[in-house]
Amino acid sequence: MILRRVRAAGWGVSATALGLLALLLWSVVYPNVAVIVGSFERGLADWKEFASSPADLDALRGTVIVAIGSVVAALLVGVPLAFLLTRTEFRGRRVLSGVATLPAALPPLVGVLAFLFLYGESGVVTRVVQRMLGMREPPWTLSGLTAVIFVHAYTMYVYVFLFVSAGLERYDTTLDEAATGLGASRALLLRRITLPLLTPSLAGAMLLVFMSALGSFSAPYVFGGGARVLSTQILVSKLNGALGLAYVETTVLAVTAVLALLLLRWLEGRRRYVMAGKGRITRSGLRSPVARALLPAFAAATVMLLVLPHAMVVLVSFARDGAWTTQLLPPEYTLDNYRQLAMDRELWRPITNSVWMSVLATAANAVVCFAIAYVVVLSQAPGRRMLALLAALPWAIPATAIALGLAATFDRNAPLQLRFLFVGTFWILPLAYFIRNIPIVTSAIEGSLRQMDPTLEDAARGLGASRWLALRRVVLPAARPGLVAGTMLAGVAAVGEFVASVVLYTHSNRPISVEILAQVRSLSFGTAAAYSVLLILLVLLITVGARWLEGRATQTEPTVNAA
Amino acid sequence: MNRFVRRRLGHAASLCTISLSVAMACGTSDGRTVLTVYSPHGKELLQHYELGFEASHPAVDVQWVDMGSQEVLDRLRAEKANPQADLWFGAPAEIFGRAATEGLLEPYTPTWADKVPADARDARAAWFGTYMTPEVIAYNTNAVTQAEAPKDWDDVLDPKWKGKVLIRDPIASGSMRAIFGAILARSVARTGSTAEGWEWLRRLDGNTKEYVLNPALLYQKLGREEGTITLYNMPDIATLEQRTKTPVGYVIPASGTPLLVDAIAIVKGAKHPDVARQYYEYVSSPAALRDAAVKFLRIPARTDIPIDSLPEVVKRASTDVKPMPGDQKLMRDSLDAWMKYWDANIRNSRRGK
Repeated sequence: MILRRVRAAGWGVSATALGLLALLLWSVVYPNVAVIVGSFERGLADWKEFASSPADLDALRGTVIVAIGSVVAALLVGVPLAFLLTRTEFRGRRVLSGVATLPAALPPLVGVLAFLFLYGESGVVTRVVQRMLGMREPPWTLSGLTAVIFVHAYTMYVYVFLFVSAGLERYDTTLDEAATGLGASRALLLRRITLPLLTPSLAGAMLLVFMSALGSFSAPYVFGGGARVLSTQILVSKLNGALGLAYVETTVLAVTAVLALLLLRWLEGRRRYVMAGKGRITRSGLRSPVARALLPAFAAATVMLLVLPHAMVVLVSFARDGAWTTQLLPPEYTLDNYRQLAMDRELWRPITNSVWMSVLATAANAVVCFAIAYVVVLSQAPGRRMLALLAALPWAIPATAIALGLAATFDRNAPLQLRFLFVGTFWILPLAYFIRNIPIVTSAIEGSLRQMDPTLEDAARGLGASRWLALRRVVLPAARPGLVAGTMLAGVAAVGEFVASVVLYTHSNRPISVEILAQVRSLSFGTAAAYSVLLILLVLLITVGARWLEGRATQTEPTVNAA
Repeated sequence: MNRFVRRRLGHAASLCTISLSVAMACGTSDGRTVLTVYSPHGKELLQHYELGFEASHPAVDVQWVDMGSQEVLDRLRAEKANPQADLWFGAPAEIFGRAATEGLLEPYTPTWADKVPADARDARAAWFGTYMTPEVIAYNTNAVTQAEAPKDWDDVLDPKWKGKVLIRDPIASGSMRAIFGAILARSVARTGSTAEGWEWLRRLDGNTKEYVLNPALLYQKLGREEGTITLYNMPDIATLEQRTKTPVGYVIPASGTPLLVDAIAIVKGAKHPDVARQYYEYVSSPAALRDAAVKFLRIPARTDIPIDSLPEVVKRASTDVKPMPGDQKLMRDSLDAWMKYWDANIRNSRRGK
């Protein structure tokens, strides 16, 4: 009898697995296939044009340079900072670690605009340096691939920092002491112990930076004609009416990304070292008095650099539009930008739109991704490996490619081809946000579920609990930390999303990011900055809200964690 | 659905519910007919007409989306199966022409159809001209004196402007496409081939400091002297000069300049064609055109507006501007291919070298 029950329930899970598989095939794979098919619509003509066009080859080269350059830059900033903050004790350490992840809270387009105001040719920092050195010409220009990599170093080092810090948290420093005691030099220690142990963290972080840089759109978009990369070249081709060429460019970009994903996964799997036991960290002070004296100053400077873009956005939101020309800082300040936002009924629309759409998308993510994670981690259902792969796929496919795929697939009603008219409707953006956030929510929940002892569910079932009861009282509580963290990240990403939005928005669902661009277009930098400030506040609200929820959950209900 | 979500999300659901009710409370749906207008004409002009039209048509809510001319075309193409816009207000006639051949426009003959010159109207009434837009050379008046400023297109190629010319990214911009197209059409008219025109554009690329994403950033960079001269359309530059503190002036090129017909059309499959026609007539009425001339320095395409009722700047433009010679049809047919060639082969070929 027991046997029959388990088998019957197994059918339920299998059906769920198949349903999820079908959903991902339809929403993730199908649009991209449509793009690939579209690239062959004129036979090989568009591919030949791509291969012979200097602009496209230039863009391809630019894309690869940006991706590799960003990885190097992010490592150069993130690794030392992670070591500094986890291994040493110095004045200002707490403040620095408090703001170290701040760049992640800066929505993509906002960050780029802030950089323009700070480090652009007529930016504040540029002019300060220019005046201090008494130069006639600005010391640098913020354009081209270097500018893009510079922005990426700021926004993406956070991944490296977080991954390496987490790796170092698990690291047992007594190993270092043992090695030193046995006579190993510092270089040998680094090469034979520290780096191998950090390989998984480093590889994960590098992969994340590489992917993000490959598909990055906002920075090359705003820094304009100077930098040519594939993600913006796609839009140029589309705008020029060469849709087939745009499909070829999208295919090339997506394939490059997926290849990179596979390559790095392989590299990651080749060497694996496991830490036995829990991490133990001893924070040491610095021996050299020079370093001890310099470190707080260095920390203060780094904190400044990290906070500056946020501060700049706030400053511009109080500046009077048009008055700021050749002065160092805006000469006139006003509350007008906020007053206008409060008065104009139309100005609230983008904010409610963004909130609404990210709530819808994130709710769908929570339900679907929980189901995916459950099937992948806790069941033996057929196709679960495939499911895990498909759930990770949107992560590798750049957002421009996702957007173009959706635009190509859902622009008409053809139920027999499983095509539905979403383009030009409200639903296209929540769908895009949902797809983009599948990987992050799924992997967060998976992480939590993997920490649960799988026998717990069986135990509950054995004691007579129904599948639903076991799910609700055992699996869900175990998944909660990942669920909250994952939906929080998804909510933050959705509310500030720009790349897919700018391709797919319609007037009725225009989100905040698109409105910021529209305000910039109409010369209202102040209003654009005021919107940006509201967006940053929204992101903060989501983060704080999620922390509060998580805190309450752990207080009221003790979680069932056996392992 | 709520119970379902609540069960799954536990406390997270309460956060969602709160946000949802906020979203609902703030949404504006007041029952008026929504007329959606796609236009590159800019916030001020669009807001002005929005208020005026809504005052006389209280049951209509005008919603406009401000974007580049070429972006409007791209959007109409993407939304062909489910048109979101009712009206397309503004873009060079050349772009309207392509939209008409792709079947994106709904023909409409306005009441004043016979009051515009023949080249400012479509033979099949798909679009009609509202404004005539000359292209000019603009400069930062703090950095460049009127005497120093380039007087004609060829002056812009002078080596003394190397690294000083700002160019709005030409792919999305109707104005820049018109200027580039005119240079190439002039080359064809003079020599029978585009070779001379490409060389001209290559030399311009060599003098170019930067291709700028949108007009706002262009104005800002010009105002802050990141570059000191640019090529753009007269009404936008003149409006900038009059309305903001940006130190900018302009020169009408002596040898002639592309005189763009800026048009208007009803979108095929528009959800509110009647209201769209009313708005069409409203913005092209003599009173509205005079308004546009006085407040936004647009030159009316209609010939029945007495020139004396127009402001000085507009009068000057209508007398000083010499249309640039060139085959309009050739330009219309070749512009897409030309721009693609430019993007692939000319952009950045000499810039910064």
